[in-house]
Amino acid sequence: MHIAAIDYMANSGNSFLHRARPAVKVIVSLLLLIALILTNDIYKAVLLIAVPVFLLLLSKSNLKEILHLAAYPMVFSLIFALIRVQESWLAGLMVLLRALGAALNMLFLIATTPYTDIFRVFSYVLPGVIIDIFLFSYRSLFILLDKLSSMIRSIKLRGGFHPAKILFNLKNIAGMLGVLIIHAFDMSERLYRIYSLRGYSGKIPMTGSAAGAFGVSAKQNALLNTLLIDILLLLFSLIVLIGVLIPWKI
Amino acid sequence: MSHIHLPDGVLSPVFWVPGFIICFALLWFFTKRIKGEEAKKKIPLTGVAAGLMLIFMSVPLGFLPVHLGLAVLCGILVGPALGFTAAFAVNTILALLGHGGFTVIGINTLLMGGEAVLGCYIFRALSRRTGKTSSAVISNIIALLITTALMVLIVSSAVGAAHALPIHDHGHEIEAAHGAEDFSFLTFTGWSAAAIIIAAGILIESFATGLIVRFLSKIRPDLIH
Repeated sequence: MHIAAIDYMANSGNSFLHRARPAVKVIVSLLLLIALILTNDIYKAVLLIAVPVFLLLLSKSNLKEILHLAAYPMVFSLIFALIRVQESWLAGLMVLLRALGAALNMLFLIATTPYTDIFRVFSYVLPGVIIDIFLFSYRSLFILLDKLSSMIRSIKLRGGFHPAKILFNLKNIAGMLGVLIIHAFDMSERLYRIYSLRGYSGKIPMTGSAAGAFGVSAKQNALLNTLLIDILLLLFSLIVLIGVLIPWKI
Repeated sequence: MSHIHLPDGVLSPVFWVPGFIICFALLWFFTKRIKGEEAKKKIPLTGVAAGLMLIFMSVPLGFLPVHLGLAVLCGILVGPALGFTAAFAVNTILALLGHGGFTVIGINTLLMGGEAVLGCYIFRALSRRTGKTSSAVISNIIALLITTALMVLIVSSAVGAAHALPIHDHGHEIEAAHGAEDFSFLTFTGWSAAAIIIAAGILIESFATGLIVRFLSKIRPDLIH
């Protein structure tokens, strides 16, 4: 699922978009998403796809990787597009464009913002328990993915996987997943003990709540720069949204 | 299996807004029950279960265009409440990656979480009478059939049942006659093909769940409640 590549882009990037506040980027993504859902015009939809691509180019993210990821929802939406084609080909095309645009919006957000910062923004609207579950899921995902990839490699090297033999594969995969589940449960026990020792009481404290999501670094200069970026980003997305809502007749 | 992967903008707000409301109401109900000392143990477990669900989706199945979800298995392992909560975490992370729309997180959670809840209760009821492996397979098939039927219902309602069907009458007799000629071809390539893929997916997932439950029953029977 290319999670590691996206995570690397979000954490190692140093563009002005990476430095913008996570809350602002979440709002910008949502505004662009709303604009995409509201529009029924093909030209506006194409322009709305160009917006996240432009932002991704500015953020110097790996566009090849991003477009590869954005292709998945296009494939999944193909069936809905084919159904809509029976109404009109434009309706079918709109489904594909919306899928691509929405995926690019979300990918812009996660390619420029580390997951922990996004979860911190979510913590303003979601209960702490859910945020903790997000954090534990994310943490365990990387460990288990690593374990899984080495297991799959091992199975393939021993001749335990053949693309045409579904039942044969399934038996071996079931055993592999069983081992992975045991490993995952042991890991959850370990996590419980580690966090208990560190004073975990059912809620992971989000360090610097104001400092991370809505404010930034200690330096005033950086703060002013970020503030300017945030205002410009918000203004830009608002203009895009209003531009979509207004029926232009030129 | 029942995961829709619907993009944003296909479902109207009439569907996804109530989907979010019901989903959050259920989440509130389930998470309210996790408190104090219990939370310390159950939150990491739910997080790991969500991580497992995400990983199951990345397991290759050869040439079949379906992926495992194993939500029922997660329900059996961690219980219905935590299984539903894990499904929400999975769908949110998937939506952030562009897999499925952001607006359909609620509906996706209701379907995937519904699999976990239904599958868990059916498994508990059946495993008192029959073996764990067969109970896991049967509960998986029943839960997947129900949630897949719901998914088809939602999708056909969203795009309009008339347009979703392989043949629909536009009110013109000539068109209907042409439709009847094309019917067998369209039925085979369109809906029948989709039905065969879905049926194969349900069988594979149920078989996989049964095999994993059998494996765990031998190695770590304490994990299967």
